[in-house]
Amino acid sequence: MDSLSSVLLLKAALCIYGVGIVGSLAALRRERIANVVGFGSATVAAVCGILAAVLALTVEQGLGGSFELWPSLIPYVKLTVKLDPLSAFFVLIVSVLALAVSIYSFGYVRGFYGRKNVGVLGAFYNALLLATTLVFTASNAFFFLIAWEIMALTAYCLISFEHEKAETRSGGVLFFIMSHIGTGCLILGFLLLFQASGDYSFDSFRAVGHTMSPARRDAAFLLFLIGFGVKAGIVPLHIWLPMAHPVAPSNASALLSGVLIKTGIYGLTRVLFDFMGTPPNWWGVTVLTIGTISAVLGVLYALMEHDLKRLLAYHSIENIGIILMGLGAALMFLHTNHPVLATLALIAGLYHTINHGIFKALLFLGAGAVLHSTHTRNMEEMGGLIKRMPKTAFCFLIGAVAISALPPLNGFISEWLTYQSLLQGFGTTGSLVRLMFPLSGAMLALTGALAAACFVKAFGVTFLAQPRSEHAAHAREASPTMILGMGLFVAACVFLGLFPTTFLTLFDPLTQQLTGQQLSAQLTVANGLALANTQAQGGTVSTLSIALMGICLLPVPLVLWLFFGRHARTRIGPTWDCGLRGLTPHMEYTATGFSKPIRMIFKALFRPRREVQREYDYSPYFATTIRFESHIEEAFVTSIYRPLNRAILRLSRRMRALQAGSIQAYLIYIFITLLLLLMFAL
Amino acid sequence: MNPPQSELASQWITLLAAGMLVIQLLMVVQGMLLANIRLFALQSLMLAAIAAIIAYFHNATHVYWVAVLTLVGKVFFLPWLLNRLVRRIQIHQEIEPMLNSTASMLLCGAFTLLGYIVARPFTTLERIGNNTLAIAITLLLTGFFLMFNRRKAITQVLALLTVENGVMLAAIALTTYGMPLVVELGIFFDVMVAVMVLGILVYRIRETFASMDVSKLSQLKG
Amino acid sequence: MKSQLLALIFQLLLLLALAPLLSGCVKNWKSKLQNRRGPRVWQPYFDLAKFLCKDMVISEHASWIFRAMPYVLFISTLLAGLMMPMLSASAPLSLFGDALAFVGLLALGRFFLALGGLDPASAFGGMGSSREMTISAIAEPALMLAIFTVAIAAGSTNLSQMLLAAQGPTWKLINPAHVLAFAALFIVLLAETGRIPVDNPATHLELTMIHEAMILEYSGRYLALIEWSASIKQLVLMALLANIFFPVGVATDWTASSLGLSLLWFLGKLFALAAAVVLVETTNAKLRLFRVPDLLSAAFILAALALLSTFLFQ
Repeated sequence: MDSLSSVLLLKAALCIYGVGIVGSLAALRRERIANVVGFGSATVAAVCGILAAVLALTVEQGLGGSFELWPSLIPYVKLTVKLDPLSAFFVLIVSVLALAVSIYSFGYVRGFYGRKNVGVLGAFYNALLLATTLVFTASNAFFFLIAWEIMALTAYCLISFEHEKAETRSGGVLFFIMSHIGTGCLILGFLLLFQASGDYSFDSFRAVGHTMSPARRDAAFLLFLIGFGVKAGIVPLHIWLPMAHPVAPSNASALLSGVLIKTGIYGLTRVLFDFMGTPPNWWGVTVLTIGTISAVLGVLYALMEHDLKRLLAYHSIENIGIILMGLGAALMFLHTNHPVLATLALIAGLYHTINHGIFKALLFLGAGAVLHSTHTRNMEEMGGLIKRMPKTAFCFLIGAVAISALPPLNGFISEWLTYQSLLQGFGTTGSLVRLMFPLSGAMLALTGALAAACFVKAFGVTFLAQPRSEHAAHAREASPTMILGMGLFVAACVFLGLFPTTFLTLFDPLTQQLTGQQLSAQLTVANGLALANTQAQGGTVSTLSIALMGICLLPVPLVLWLFFGRHARTRIGPTWDCGLRGLTPHMEYTATGFSKPIRMIFKALFRPRREVQREYDYSPYFATTIRFESHIEEAFVTSIYRPLNRAILRLSRRMRALQAGSIQAYLIYIFITLLLLLMFAL
Repeated sequence: MNPPQSELASQWITLLAAGMLVIQLLMVVQGMLLANIRLFALQSLMLAAIAAIIAYFHNATHVYWVAVLTLVGKVFFLPWLLNRLVRRIQIHQEIEPMLNSTASMLLCGAFTLLGYIVARPFTTLERIGNNTLAIAITLLLTGFFLMFNRRKAITQVLALLTVENGVMLAAIALTTYGMPLVVELGIFFDVMVAVMVLGILVYRIRETFASMDVSKLSQLKG
Repeated sequence: MKSQLLALIFQLLLLLALAPLLSGCVKNWKSKLQNRRGPRVWQPYFDLAKFLCKDMVISEHASWIFRAMPYVLFISTLLAGLMMPMLSASAPLSLFGDALAFVGLLALGRFFLALGGLDPASAFGGMGSSREMTISAIAEPALMLAIFTVAIAAGSTNLSQMLLAAQGPTWKLINPAHVLAFAALFIVLLAETGRIPVDNPATHLELTMIHEAMILEYSGRYLALIEWSASIKQLVLMALLANIFFPVGVATDWTASSLGLSLLWFLGKLFALAAAVVLVETTNAKLRLFRVPDLLSAAFILAALALLSTFLFQ
């Protein structure tokens, strides 16, 4: 194959996304055709994207070419698209997600027939995928920002798809506002880089950090951290995530959590590792701290949710925190001149990026199937769905096991790599900063255990036990295309979990570009069976062997059956109900009750507000009705955003006085401005 | 200068100093008064053991006296006195401290780190053990923290005594095998008298206010 | 290859055979300390045989998770045990998993145990699952930090490496980091195996049970597997404490005499640890559920102090 074939496939993917947009809009009246055209073209384009990315990372080893999307006549604004290894990796993520989610969407959007316009959904869906692919492959700062804006706009349109609900509208608006705050910071950051390099293309930005003054460099770092951090959803810039992701249609939520927040990670990786050169130590420490705090706070707030999709949105914040822990550690290792360890940490962070994309999208698709059947997002109204929706339950279970970082699935592998890089970091420096590495590792362990607790709750309350409402009792299994979409993700989770050594070879051109190291050979021992950590006598793990050994150990209980329990029979009986007949669904454990111990332990963080109201006739001890409400407001909303809101409104009210309404006043303003400009020019 | 057994001595002193630190942390979270007194006795026993080891391995006989004094005074006499006091007063449990248990522990962990940072420039002056000065500073800081975290007078007395333990440890660690005996005796009897006076006072406070809660002693106002 | 297979089978049999003995010893000695006669030391073997023969009653609300859970728990605990060096310095599966995989496999078992508690729609099970996941979440940082301290000192997360480094000259037996990490891990052992003061393994009152609550609906051979898994987990965690912190008498070659001697040392260390656990159980009362985080944060601070000690006492 000639070396342009990845570029060719990428062009094909972009064109087919465009066809999807146009086709969906053209078939606005005919729902079925819009469905097939829109999501079918997304599927085909996704396959092209996967092939392009894999080719770029394996065969071409990152030497692919670039092309201009459109010849532009404006100077500095060149619409260059380049598929270098970092871009190819993220294009792989977006394409894998697009493939499975599009297949899922065939069945999912049938729920919108008759209510909403499927053609519009298909058009915006394809537009979002197109814009995201362009964000990952843009090689010019202006083009990057244009694609970024289009991505934000289409995401807003997708989030506000069901805009008849007030919750959706406010979620969409908040997303829009926060996204633009971020974009503003990005523009300033790119302008700083332009000042140092003289051109807007990414090639000219390479290692431009060395030529910038330290103050400008630090300012650029902060601007990019805020700009990309808003999109990624780091604490404290995360408040839009739990409001926007739950209200979007579930296939869009899967894309939002799976891919959109990864654009923030892509931006941070591109700027910090490609453009900025060797970082000062406080950058790595800041990113590591932000990552640790995001991880712990994200999972703590997730535990308190009983809205299934909001819970998943908070878990996205947690996983972004884990990714940032890897990136922060990599920055610290670059500063202390340990390129091998920096590469290990970078690989850990990026592996977790693709892992999170896959299992978070899987969980959102499962939640979408449940929402489709039971018409509610509230976990407290579900239950017993495992018997009525067995395949969906199985897919959700695999996603839950993966996100809790349990062996042998993919979440365990990326957390293992993160732990190894943090542990080896202790020996890299003599200063007290090295204490951060094991303490971050301990916090990572805390988030992993809390995530497992949260998903026991989510899976247990939603799928197990008895149905808690009529809808749950009559739920129907999801349609075959939905199961197929989820099944693709299950297969991806299993593949990435059992064969990490194979997948790690894809990282070689990427790390070669960013840190100059290729680690996949050092991370593999025993003929590719086990994953190592670049040390000679270091720990090794082989999830494939663990899985196979587990299967080999199955005969042990079976032999015990044969010897002892051959004549034992099994009866079906009622659950132990303490002798009172009839266990009702009201007697089951609720989601709120499940997380009560955590709520009590972290009371200082949550500050739960409880309200009890009782109505009584004669005496409060004989109440006729009792109403109990428990409410947790996010600490950042109450302590940062609300006061900020109030301060801005107060300032605006003061400034309102300027708008006096009289023509005289406005003329005087113009005159004063003119005088000031003349004096300034003097 | 260093006989070969000094290595073993150094290890044991390090271990005992770490033991003193752990006991201090346990005192921060322990609520029962009698248990606190026993913990203090154990801590003083470890201090006496450290002094004895130093005296043995470096043939400094006056440090033996320090060890014996600590043993008699702080391991037997003072705890007996305080025990008698607690039994007379009939109050066995501490009230809710100002900071809850987990936060106190984390704060004391931070104090340990601070003690290490403060003691780092002095490590070359140390003769015995490693970084026992850091532990001494930590004992000082956590002792003061204990004093204002708790509200019963007896615990505050105990906290003062642990601060004195820390000072003794620093004296042994930094200077030539302990301070001159005169200075040690002076400090020792000073603290002993203070505790006896405080013992009488506490009993009087209890009789007047029907409780040992020092926050009730708020009449000394302008 | 053949010797490795033999080692695997031998360690497997050792795990299966020794675990009930250890549980029986703990129960018997606890009773003796409380002035009772107590069950025989061999009683758990008879209990397991009895459970395996009995009929099973399965709740009508249970799904396939209920039926799969005992297998997942049993096999994950066995796999974790096979990664732990017991008689010889190299464990059979040490290439396939290190300390992090060990903790991960135990977490996998616990995940499915909690799901199995929620499945039959009983409130007891939900309560047990909730409490178990909370306690294990709070215990996890202390566990990881203590393991990290040992791993940093040994330079590797491989359990066999940790054992060999502990035998070496740098990790002295009375090193403060050593002692503090041991103390932290001992508290975590009490939490993970559900001993007083964290959980009462002998109660069936809803206010006081955690592990028992999750397995209340299980009977027959499923219950046998679950009880056996709990004993194996206890054995494996005690082996971690015994071998990594006191690697005396661990065999370095494969001769029968050294293995036999190693077995005697191993049993001695296990019984000493079991005696310590029994002593702690008898002299303490069970803590209120919301006091358990205080205990576990004390373990966390001990582990953090152990970490500080690695360079505090250079």
